[in-house]
Amino acid sequence: MSTFQLATLSTWIRSSAVWRSIVRHGVADTNRNRSLIIFENLFLHVHPVKVREKTLKFSHTYWLGGITMVASFVLFATGILLMFYYHPSVPQAYQDMKELKFVVDNGVFYRNMHRWAAHLMVLGAMLHMLRVFYHRAYRPPRQFNWVVGVILLLITLLLSYTGYLLPWDQLAFWGVSVGTNMAKEAPLIGKPLRFLLLGGNIVSENALLRFYVLHCVVLPVVLILFLSVHIWRIRKDGGVQGPPEKDASEEVEP
Amino acid sequence: MPLRRLFAITSILFFAVLAISPLKNALRPYRAIQREYAKLGAARAKSQKLAQAYQARPVSIQQIWLPGLQNRVDRCTTCHLGVQDETMAGAPGVFRLHSRSFHTPKDFDRFGCTSCHGGQGLATLEEDAHGHAENAGTPMTPLPFIESGCGRCHQAEQVAGAAILSRGRKLMEKAGCFACHLVKGHEGFRSEAPPLESVALKTGGEALKRWLKDPKGLDTNASMPNFHLADADIEALTHFIFNTVPSRTLSEKIRTAGEEKLGDPINGKKIFAEARCISCHTVEGKGNGTAPELSKVASRNTQPWLLAFLRDPQAFNPRTRMPRFGFSEADTRDVVAYMVTEFKDFEAPKEMLDPVHVNQSLAEKGQKLFRQLGCTACHAVGGAADRIGPELNRIGDKRAASLDFGKRTDVKHTLPAWLQAKLEDPRSLGAGLKMPSYGFTPEDNRAMVTALLALGADPVPDRYQHQPAQRASLVPGGGVGALFDRYRCLSCHQIGDRGADISTAPLTAEGSKVQKDWVIDYLVLSYTIRPILTDRMPVFRMTKEEATTLAQAFETFYLDPSIPEDPFAGQPATSRDPVEGKHIFDTLGCKACHIQGDKGGYFGPPLNEAGRRLKPGWTYKWLKGPQQWRADVRCPNYGLTDADALKLTSFLQTLVQKPAALKTAKGGGR
Repeated sequence: MSTFQLATLSTWIRSSAVWRSIVRHGVADTNRNRSLIIFENLFLHVHPVKVREKTLKFSHTYWLGGITMVASFVLFATGILLMFYYHPSVPQAYQDMKELKFVVDNGVFYRNMHRWAAHLMVLGAMLHMLRVFYHRAYRPPRQFNWVVGVILLLITLLLSYTGYLLPWDQLAFWGVSVGTNMAKEAPLIGKPLRFLLLGGNIVSENALLRFYVLHCVVLPVVLILFLSVHIWRIRKDGGVQGPPEKDASEEVEP
Repeated sequence: MPLRRLFAITSILFFAVLAISPLKNALRPYRAIQREYAKLGAARAKSQKLAQAYQARPVSIQQIWLPGLQNRVDRCTTCHLGVQDETMAGAPGVFRLHSRSFHTPKDFDRFGCTSCHGGQGLATLEEDAHGHAENAGTPMTPLPFIESGCGRCHQAEQVAGAAILSRGRKLMEKAGCFACHLVKGHEGFRSEAPPLESVALKTGGEALKRWLKDPKGLDTNASMPNFHLADADIEALTHFIFNTVPSRTLSEKIRTAGEEKLGDPINGKKIFAEARCISCHTVEGKGNGTAPELSKVASRNTQPWLLAFLRDPQAFNPRTRMPRFGFSEADTRDVVAYMVTEFKDFEAPKEMLDPVHVNQSLAEKGQKLFRQLGCTACHAVGGAADRIGPELNRIGDKRAASLDFGKRTDVKHTLPAWLQAKLEDPRSLGAGLKMPSYGFTPEDNRAMVTALLALGADPVPDRYQHQPAQRASLVPGGGVGALFDRYRCLSCHQIGDRGADISTAPLTAEGSKVQKDWVIDYLVLSYTIRPILTDRMPVFRMTKEEATTLAQAFETFYLDPSIPEDPFAGQPATSRDPVEGKHIFDTLGCKACHIQGDKGGYFGPPLNEAGRRLKPGWTYKWLKGPQQWRADVRCPNYGLTDADALKLTSFLQTLVQKPAALKTAKGGGR
């Protein structure tokens, strides 16, 4: 009784002008239609048109890439919320940590989510790489995507490191002091690199501002760029692993 | 479909987890506290309307934001809601009304809470705000040291209403902290410690060794701390000190004094009592205690030195507080004879005052030690004082985490506890520390920790700083200056901002206060003005010429323009009415404290010669408000009208009888 009513309701919704202006294709279960749905949607078109069920098996991916990506989405969401409360200036930065804890509704929750998601993202990215390595999934035709992945790992680590300074507590200050001193020991470019990174010779206001801009603008933009390429390449390379798919022309409709 | 079921379960769990944070938010402790406050307020309120106002209060975070004072944000009032609420007088715990003080309740919005109490103003959880949670930041200042908060703004040494802080600051000066530690405002400090060159003339090897072992053991008033020296080091230092060569004039003084015969101890005893030595010194603990204890002084100092020193103390130590008395040659001999026979340590060995045969290699070792131990900071040999201690300017805001507690496990890991332990036993907080022990009493310790905690790292903005206006502290040069120097007036009296606080009579307005003839008589032969005080002006045996010079200087320099020369000028003739004045005198009950005629109290000065001693302008101004001269004056302010004050003044001016003591005394003129 109720199912019948639900069915009529769903038919009524799907046949409405509004629905059809958004979802332009019927859901007729043909390969062509499925492909069109993917092709004609900005958000889905980087996704493979067709995914083989066996590549979705847990033991093939351990969902590591997916976990890493979801963690990055969590980071974007909580990070934007945190930016509403944070001032990248010396007298204010640590005070803002206290504001988050003592005054902002759910402030501790946002901060902790951001922190744990960041840990998860670094860990996930590393395990994901190990998985790719041991599954020999870096081999052609995915050699290009492996390199993109390495760049993504680097960006992840840099994001993690620049975020470390922002609370402006003792741990942050000395963490970054030690880290940039290590960078200084690099031959030739070490000293200029440190100067560039800190905006001076000591960890000070300039360093805080630079790390903030890197953490909240530069690195996230680069991350989105390379992440898009990464996902797009998965489609082009025919899924996450295994030999390349055969040409579509060779496929036979069932 | 186990996977789907798993997905469903984890989703539900995830939402449950997400709900925890808003729930915690809704259950923050301060909300319950504010509801309890509303209930308590409604119960205590005096009217229905007020009770409703309490209940209608929204639950919200309260804060005092001070952008002009180090950008403080104090949220203490989120829980301590009753601090400004009279209804909460005597309320329990967190809600109680703040005790009254000079700045409360009127200045909450000017200073907030943390500027006095310390702690973490931003926090809204008790543990964090009070600083007891881990990594919460500097905890609140414990209440025994709360006056350190006053000292952050009040920079002067003496702060009215902050007795402990004032005492601590005075003690720091007295103990000579600034000789080793740099503190802002005290860069020019120089210790009163005697120069070493005369020590070999003054004492013997055994006495010196005992002194170095424990100065306070020999003299309870000693200001030199205990350096806990090893016997070998004491030996070396003794050889070094006896190796210094005194100037020829000093040796000559000692040599001639040594050739003199002993005087009459009985006459000496009389002079000793007359001169009132115990206004500064103590004898067996009786006396003021700012100068050495005298009961065993002859076992520490040779007889020739006592004689020479008494004649001219300032030659032996230019910075001494001891005046040069005007005793005759014979009188000095008598006093020293009395001291040598009476002020002796009868248990001391015979060789106490024997000189040391200097061993050069030991003396060199001693010289090195002398510098290493920091002795030069006080006993500047050749004037090069060097501060060997760390600067103390920002110590009040030092983090406990950056302090070295050494092997002490009994000390709480907070700055006040560390400072207390440091002052108690300086060398227990690590190996190789050099600071000596001062043996402060617990009260002194508390006062000094308070003063130290007031030395903050963040300077308070100018408009919060309180510097009392500087008072002119003129000390004339020439012949008058020489007399001031000889009699060391500033060792007891204040002139403007200079001088010590032993005497209750500052000289700043002396010329406007006392009659010239009286002050000459008084300087020649001083007597007790206030019978109740133990510290009295010594009898210097000043000549009449010297007294006249000083009195003339008072009349010239030490005048207060706010005190009229003749208060009756321009007033109706009826104001000069001693009979009416006498009536007021009796009505107010002045005799409760003052002697007049042959009856009266002992607290205030006798008034029998008030007309001869005081100038009418002063008397009139005094009667109009005794506390304008010193805050601690006990004479009540009766709020007299001008007419009444003048009448009382005219009565007091009629009292010109000389005290009995002066009639029989044999005057100055030696």
